[in-house]
Amino acid sequence: MAALAGFAGRAAADDVVRSEVDARKVGLHDQVQLTITVEGSHLPNQAPMPALTNLQVVGGPAVSTQMSFVNGHMSQSRSWTYALEPQAVGRAEVGPVTVKLGSTETSAPAIPIEVVAGSVKPQPAPQRSNDIFDEDPFSRLGRQRQAEPRLFVEAKPSRTRLYVGEPLLLTYYLYTQTGVSGLQLAQAPQFQGFWAEDLNSPERPTGEAITVDGVTYRRFPVMMKLLFPTRAGRLTIPAATLSIGIPRQSFFDVGGVVQRSTKPVTVEVRPIPEEPGFSGAVGHFRADASVDRPNLSLGDAATLRFKVEGSGNLKWVDRAPEVNVQGAKVYPPQVKSDLRASSAGISGSRTWEFVIVPQTSGTIEIPSLAFSYFDPSKERVVRSETPPVPLRVAGGAPGAAAPVPMTATAPALRGGPLPLRADLELGSRSFPFSGKAVAVAAGLALVLHGLLWGSGRLGQLRLGGPRGAAAPRSTRSALRDLERIGRDGMSKEKAAGLIEKTIHGVFGSLDGQEDERARAVRDLLDEVHSVRYAPQLGDYSEKLRELAAHAVEVVRRWA
Amino acid sequence: MRLVARRCRVALAAAAFLAIVAPAHAAPPSPQARFRQAGELARSGDYPKAIALYEELAASGYESASLYWNWAQAATARGAQGEALWALLRAREIDPSDRAVQREIERLREGANLDRAEISPEPLAAVARTARRFRLDLVAVLLLLVSVGAHAALKWQRSATRLASVAWVTLVLGLLAAVVPVAGSIGRPTGTVVRRGAPLLDAASPTAETSGTLREGEVVPILEVSGNYVRVEDSSGARGWALASDVRSLVTAPRRAS
Repeated sequence: MAALAGFAGRAAADDVVRSEVDARKVGLHDQVQLTITVEGSHLPNQAPMPALTNLQVVGGPAVSTQMSFVNGHMSQSRSWTYALEPQAVGRAEVGPVTVKLGSTETSAPAIPIEVVAGSVKPQPAPQRSNDIFDEDPFSRLGRQRQAEPRLFVEAKPSRTRLYVGEPLLLTYYLYTQTGVSGLQLAQAPQFQGFWAEDLNSPERPTGEAITVDGVTYRRFPVMMKLLFPTRAGRLTIPAATLSIGIPRQSFFDVGGVVQRSTKPVTVEVRPIPEEPGFSGAVGHFRADASVDRPNLSLGDAATLRFKVEGSGNLKWVDRAPEVNVQGAKVYPPQVKSDLRASSAGISGSRTWEFVIVPQTSGTIEIPSLAFSYFDPSKERVVRSETPPVPLRVAGGAPGAAAPVPMTATAPALRGGPLPLRADLELGSRSFPFSGKAVAVAAGLALVLHGLLWGSGRLGQLRLGGPRGAAAPRSTRSALRDLERIGRDGMSKEKAAGLIEKTIHGVFGSLDGQEDERARAVRDLLDEVHSVRYAPQLGDYSEKLRELAAHAVEVVRRWA
Repeated sequence: MRLVARRCRVALAAAAFLAIVAPAHAAPPSPQARFRQAGELARSGDYPKAIALYEELAASGYESASLYWNWAQAATARGAQGEALWALLRAREIDPSDRAVQREIERLREGANLDRAEISPEPLAAVARTARRFRLDLVAVLLLLVSVGAHAALKWQRSATRLASVAWVTLVLGLLAAVVPVAGSIGRPTGTVVRRGAPLLDAASPTAETSGTLREGEVVPILEVSGNYVRVEDSSGARGWALASDVRSLVTAPRRAS
């Protein structure tokens, strides 16, 4: 407070009047503390309010009195503190203060204040004083009036002038004077005209102290994007909105969520000069070519690896170089990538692997392969060429052609004639049944089986076996029935009827069958009939037991 | 004599008439001839005309793996990677056993930096291809026919009990074989993004806002069709509308251009 004192007036040796403000330059949304202090032996109960220009009182006065004894001499002071608020941007003034102390009047001069737009006043650091009189009650008042914490977000590009395909690191920073409990994108940024790669943001970002317009904040990187312009011109990255969670600041505070938006960022993208053979790569690269087997036999294959390594937008480059080797077949390449994205750009390598099958013996030369890229530092297209790679092919007479198993449908050389097929091959076209048709067919088959089953044939037949007969359950049931005969004291008619019914149930109709099985069953049935229709002239129980045993034997053997 | 001369004159007149009229009414070139003509156009570097001819053939119903193979080669030479990938995927739909097509799809996929999942978003489509490749639909129908036939024969030939085994075994095998094509037909239809930077729109309307872009070559499930727009879902899960001309169907033949 003393450092910001506007002026101190002294009327007598011991009587002093001071008029002080806590800031000479304030924002329209800030508050100013005005403190009028009187020191002396006779302290007034009230201090006159000075004339205010472009300011109004919004709080106070808060009165505090201090007394001290030094070497037996007592000194005392009394302060009146007001909270003032600017009314408009421009000049403001706290008028002179005149206090009557006993018989004399003591004055403090006027204090000019500059009012600017917005808020520029730094948040006062929390005071940790043991002296209760030293605590400024209006600092709390000011903090409570500030409804939203002081924080903002900024999208900061690593550069604003670059070439098409050159990387641009866009970092989203959070500037804050308060703690933050959460952060998420309320409106995702759109990157029209850019190809965007996400970079991993630190899980626990470390902040750094930074001063913006005289105000100290802590700055945290919260999101990083690697952007590659895809076209030339002035490109604008629109604003992104972040929702920021604020934890509760005090007992009565409930915390909350505030939204902050970045400002749009405009960058100037320069075009890459047109040049034949340019691959589209922008950055710094080096091309290299090698074969896995420089010496091979006729009929064997070698693998040519064309590797481009460096940093830049290598991810864009997907077209393989044209490889034409006199005296060898070159098959389409496989592409392998080992690329990493970092804040400096994308670095790593991309390798095209061609299978080369020599068709003649002797030395075959794989010609020099070129990779053209745009070097932003040199501002021109640079061509990186590999040296020719020799292939020594042994076996066969020099110049003899090797049989190359290449079908008519195999892809031919890249860069050569198109590997087109000559026959439309409509004959090989299949006309599959649709899934629905197959489902209908399956359903229909089940229905037909059900109908046939209903006629009672399939279910009576046993799976497998040379004779095919009733299911095992039917046989067991028949044997159980036959074992009852002779035990339950049933009549001979009833017993013979049960045997006949059981035999018919097991073997069914035997019409037209003349095999041993049919004969055995017929003999049994004849025997059953003779007993069934014989006159009742004695006890047939023994005969019925024999008949039942015979029936069991026939069932066990033939069923 | 006069009669003979008159007949000769009539015959000559008829021959002259046919000589004049016949070329005008010549039969149109066969699909095979048009296919070869498209190949010649592609070899001479006239890729747009070649592709137009391939499209006309496909729209007329003359689809084959070879047609789409050549179409893909012409599209690749033209620089249309998405269209080339679509043509190859369509070729694979028609002939899943064509290994050259499989290899070329892999090559284009890697060239376009697409994951395998990005060109196969619908697992049931692979099941359907397996069914087509091994003709499981035909196998299932034949087995079911044999099963019903064996059962019916058993009805009339009761002593031929082996038919029961045949009926049971073929019924079970037929039903198992039928599960695969039926399951494959349940999958959602898919399409390939054939235009670089194809916009994803928030509505099926010419005045719709762009909510994102689709990756060229990516295969997306088609959720809905509305006029000239299709509703799709990209690999990130974003749903929106796209122009039907930007997302070509993999399950139906191209339509004849009006």
